[in-house]
Amino acid sequence: MTAASSGNIPGTSKTDFLRSVREALGRDSDGSGGAAPPSHEYHRLEETLPQLEEQAAELGVRLREKRPQLLDRFAEMAGRGGWNVHRVSGVEAAIGRVDSLVSELQAARVVRSGQSVFDDVPVDAALEWKGIDVAPIVQGENAPRGELRETIRQADIGLTGTDYALAETGSLVIVPRRGLSRLVSLVPPVHIALVRPEEVLESLHDLFLLRRLEYYRRGGEMGSYLNFITGPSRTADIEMTIVQGVHGPKSVHLVLIE
Amino acid sequence: MAEVKTGQFQTASAVAMLDPQLRRALDRVGVGFDVARRNAIEEVSSEAWEEWREEARNIKIHTLDHLDYYLELLHDNVTAAGGQVHFAVDSAEANAIVAHLVQSRGVKVATKSKSMVSEELELNPVLESLGVDVYETDLGEYIIQLAGETPSHLVAPALHKSKEDVAELFAEKLGLPYDDDIEVMAAAARVALRDKFMEADLGISGANFVVAETGTLVIVTNEGNGRLCTSAPRIHIGITGMEKVIPSMQDLAIFLRLLPRSATGQRISSYVSMITGPRREDDEDGPEEFHLILVDNGRSRMLRDPKLREALYCIRCGACLNICPVYQRVGGHAYGWVYPGPIGAVVSPMLTGLKEAKALPQASSLCGACREACPIKINIPRMLLELRHRTAESEDPAEKASSRSERLMAGAYGMLMNSPGRMGVAASIGKVAQNLIPGMSKSAGWIRKAPLPLLSQWTRARDLPPLPPKSFREIWRDELGKDVAQEADGDRG
Repeated sequence: MTAASSGNIPGTSKTDFLRSVREALGRDSDGSGGAAPPSHEYHRLEETLPQLEEQAAELGVRLREKRPQLLDRFAEMAGRGGWNVHRVSGVEAAIGRVDSLVSELQAARVVRSGQSVFDDVPVDAALEWKGIDVAPIVQGENAPRGELRETIRQADIGLTGTDYALAETGSLVIVPRRGLSRLVSLVPPVHIALVRPEEVLESLHDLFLLRRLEYYRRGGEMGSYLNFITGPSRTADIEMTIVQGVHGPKSVHLVLIE
Repeated sequence: MAEVKTGQFQTASAVAMLDPQLRRALDRVGVGFDVARRNAIEEVSSEAWEEWREEARNIKIHTLDHLDYYLELLHDNVTAAGGQVHFAVDSAEANAIVAHLVQSRGVKVATKSKSMVSEELELNPVLESLGVDVYETDLGEYIIQLAGETPSHLVAPALHKSKEDVAELFAEKLGLPYDDDIEVMAAAARVALRDKFMEADLGISGANFVVAETGTLVIVTNEGNGRLCTSAPRIHIGITGMEKVIPSMQDLAIFLRLLPRSATGQRISSYVSMITGPRREDDEDGPEEFHLILVDNGRSRMLRDPKLREALYCIRCGACLNICPVYQRVGGHAYGWVYPGPIGAVVSPMLTGLKEAKALPQASSLCGACREACPIKINIPRMLLELRHRTAESEDPAEKASSRSERLMAGAYGMLMNSPGRMGVAASIGKVAQNLIPGMSKSAGWIRKAPLPLLSQWTRARDLPPLPPKSFREIWRDELGKDVAQEADGDRG
């Protein structure tokens, strides 16, 4: 990308750097500077795409069988992790809960990501009917950088979906999509997230299996980021006293649609 | 590189121990972090915890043994994701790489999330000399930057500051009315830094892990500043020690269980951000450039040294600080360089030279608590002993641990330990003496000051545990030993 500018960047060449590492390891017998593969294989990097697919299929079965327990576990751990958890049944109830949360928080401006969950759970009309200014980030329509940012900065609430939810830790996990700014769940003082049952995984292990599968399926493309969010922003940097909402949201709500 | 003051350990620790405010702060760490850590382990069961520790340790052993291979894999995958990898053998090179990027890209404002390696490099003055406004954004680091100080803990850099100190600092530097309410101060930092995040051209972060398999940089944070630094500016530079590479993304399942629990007792931190290359075309936002700087800066010396290599397994959780009786007395600054506490007493001499830092390996009672607390089971006491051995045996007089009282105490200790008879006699005398000799000052169960000439030199910077009413030898002889002897008899019968 910046080949022209990388020619004269200071630093040590990869070859020389790796050679010195190999020397330190006492393994640079030929001085060629090429990397030596591990003397014994590392099992995780030996896994093939079909093997990962098989594991993912087994995971799918396990998740379906355990779903009711997993939803309970996820709700419990999310609560312990600092989320305000709202369990609702069905789309109407979900819209109603978002609507009442926005009213309770006396918000005037909501910025909403363009994730697919909002096709199934259309919240905009209900909010707008109450006079709330909803700014959806429309998929595929990249607003100019400054404009998008200003909208997000002005918002009282950021509204998103999620890609995964982890029962083990009570975390939401978000990966890049069209219509999803990295800042919607981060900059406004309140974050409200919608979670669907099929997004709930059991463990960190499940998550990384699925992400690695995706990575190899896409020929080595991981996507630019993967964000875990667990509860509000917090700090304990002054006298070890916990304060919520230092740089990220102070208050976070999770609407689990069953 | 950051100024090395490891040679001043004895003076600095003596001063630190007299500071009542530091005492209160360190008590909070011991109680707060360490109790939270224990509770978090109890929640998952100590059996599961032991399994995770073992697995993590094995991953680290494997990775460091094949570090060249994994660094190359990491390089290839960061590059494939559209990022650029730079290699720096020392702090001067690392700083030169950042300086080059800053100048060639016209950077005016930079925000930083917490990075211990950047403290090692002393990067901020370099940026400032180039006319860049640089803002630390982790609340603790921001406080330290405003105060012109250095961090005193790996996880809670400003723990030595009271809320009144911070309120005065904010009043002076930010022109705010004095208010020592902690919520108010955190809110003030939010307001002060919000514009900086949005204005910044450059975000600088460290890394808790870098994944070779996918070329991914991982940061574990609570405040959200790490996410802002790596999302809002047009350039992101990640700087990290070369030992932070792990082979597979799947390995994170273990490390993400160990790190937050060991650091703060959390099941997981508020945020874990994984970054792979710059923004893609379809992304709504994110940096256009991603650079990863991998730093050696003395680490290959540790790699070369089979007896000290395991210090590179450290994930910088701070658990060994929170539990260490020495750290809890003297705090982080006394250690004289970036990395304090038991692991710092190994890492600092290795990265900056044993000559200057020869007092650090002595700053331990070898009680073994650090090894117990370490999520990677790093045998810190063994390495401290090894370094003590090197200072004792060194041909270089400047490296030799040389105080007369130290040598005499070590000699006497050896003499007693080698002879149970002498040990028994000495202990009996000591027990009577500690109660008879006037001026033997005890507090909180420790002998703070001994009046005898030799002992007083020893206790000037150390506390001695008072001798218990019954020695272990006596308990063994009178009680435990009998049971064992009886059991042995029973076995025979």
